[in-house]
Amino acid sequence: MTKTIELRVYGMTCDDCAKHVSSGLKNLNGVKEVSVSLKDGIAHIRATDTANSNDLIKLDVFKGQYRAQVRSVKND
Amino acid sequence: MTEYDLAIIGWGAAGFAAAIKASELTSNQMKIALIGTGELGGTCVNVGCVPSKFLIEASKNYKEAKSPAYAGITSSATLDFSEFMESLNQFVSGERETKYTSVMKNFENIDLIEGLAKFIDNDTISVNNTELKATNFIIATGSRTFIPEVRGLTDYYTSDTVWKMRKLPGKLAVIGSGEVALELAYAFSNFGSEVHIFNRSNRILKGFDDDVNSQLMAALKSNGIVFHLGVNFYEIKNEEGKKDIVTWTGTFGDFDEIIVATGRMPNIDGLDLRAGGITADNGIVVNPDFRTTNPKIYAAGDCVRQSLKLETLAGKEGVIAVENILGGDRRINMQEVPWVVFTEPNVASVGYTEAELKKKHIEYDVRTVELKNVVKANILNSYTGIAKIISGKDKKILGIHVIAPMAAEFITEGVYLIKNGLTYDDLIDTIHVFPTVAESIKITGQAFIRDISKMSCCMD
Ligand SMILES: Cc1cc2nc3c(=O)[nH]c(=O)nc-3n(C[C@H](O)[C@H](O)[C@H](O)COP(=O)(O)OP(=O)(O)OC[C@H]3O[C@@H](n4cnc5c(N)ncnc54)[C@H](O)[C@@H]3O)c2cc1C
Repeated sequence: MTKTIELRVYGMTCDDCAKHVSSGLKNLNGVKEVSVSLKDGIAHIRATDTANSNDLIKLDVFKGQYRAQVRSVKND
Repeated sequence: MTEYDLAIIGWGAAGFAAAIKASELTSNQMKIALIGTGELGGTCVNVGCVPSKFLIEASKNYKEAKSPAYAGITSSATLDFSEFMESLNQFVSGERETKYTSVMKNFENIDLIEGLAKFIDNDTISVNNTELKATNFIIATGSRTFIPEVRGLTDYYTSDTVWKMRKLPGKLAVIGSGEVALELAYAFSNFGSEVHIFNRSNRILKGFDDDVNSQLMAALKSNGIVFHLGVNFYEIKNEEGKKDIVTWTGTFGDFDEIIVATGRMPNIDGLDLRAGGITADNGIVVNPDFRTTNPKIYAAGDCVRQSLKLETLAGKEGVIAVENILGGDRRINMQEVPWVVFTEPNVASVGYTEAELKKKHIEYDVRTVELKNVVKANILNSYTGIAKIISGKDKKILGIHVIAPMAAEFITEGVYLIKNGLTYDDLIDTIHVFPTVAESIKITGQAFIRDISKMSCCMD
């Protein structure tokens, strides 16, 4: 089973930022797919059931310029 | 309906700190509603810390100018109280403009919304009958003066209104004996008013050990303040502009003005907290991370159920609430929060008192040094006061309490000592500036290892 987590990501100002956030999000075990929208400041993450959404926002990528908050978690 | 990432209710110290921190952490991308009533900046800048410290400093200046402390110096000083109070109000407007109004102009992501907010449900509030939704909330509605029920108590000032006073009262009654009451009483006695403090309880200040309190009371008495403690007053009689305070033990008469400063209560009654799923009990109940019983809603500052009501604490809590909303796990150790009563001498304190440690059954050592052992205090002709350090059995400093001139300026040394778990050996090993009143902390540290009467200046 997988789930889709929506994060509100703050602090992204350019395409590079979105790429940076996207690759940072892949550092959590269980993350399968990431898509980041610079325009909306939103990231969608498809992950296995074992991945904890609150661990996503504690990843290193969110300790500097970018900050994130979990907006929703839906089972696929 | 407008939707925000974060709605902050209250635009005082906690609300402003939260709004600015949230903007900084999100590169101004968080859409924030900052909702409030009255002047921007809330209590501290408008009717709290700023005017009260201006009043105190000016009153000290006047008193010193009228009666210089050193031999051979004579002077005469006069006071135009009305002109002075105008200048105080102008100063307050200036500080509000630079520290609050202008600052807000840097944040396009923050909407200032004027009005009283109340909860409709757990993610909706209404302000001026307009509904507003947000993903996150911080309640930062502060506190207000508590007015006791006393028959005839109708014509009085509080710390909200005293700034409108233009005629110096010849005889002033201050009802209350907490820090706000003592500071105002002290300032008016410096200006030359005959000040009487009335309180139903028979002690002054909460949260200090008795030795600290009795030193302060001695200093205030020698400043001319008359204390009526443990006095049950039940009626105020207003006759021809003069006020009499009727107590069980007699009537104290002829007061020109009364200031009521009997504590503060949280501003939470109009918020309909229940609709927001928030529990309150003499203040909003929060977890150590400042989350309320509704996980979407945090609270910060004077509206929280906590005994310390401070600008610095309110600001810190606002910041920490935001950091925790954005995935952090920050807390505040209340033993690291310094607080000061700005009378002269200042009373400054951080960490545990003896009474608190006894209650917790924690063993401790304590040393108290009188100010006459501190050269700078003697230079200042300031002999009333003590410095007191409490340490654990492992020598770690647990509490520092000082009554001394300018103690507000150096109590932060105590904060660093406690925050970093340092011992009195570390304190002794640190070179202090000589001659300073701050040296009183080091000398008190030395009292743990030697008889300080057998010690020369500036030795370790
Ligand atoms: C005379 C005096 C002297 C003081 N001196 C010091 C000092 O020297 N040092 C120190 O650290 N502290 C001092 N304090 C304490 C300090 O002022 C307060 O702790 C601090 O201002 C609290 O900040 P706050 O943000 O929690 O609340 P406040 O600053 O009171 O702000 C609360 C805001 O919320 C608004 N509000 C309330 N209800 C609603 C509602 N339903 N909807 C919308 N808005 C609402 C209010 O209008 C206000 O703007 C002093 C206080 C007083 C009274």
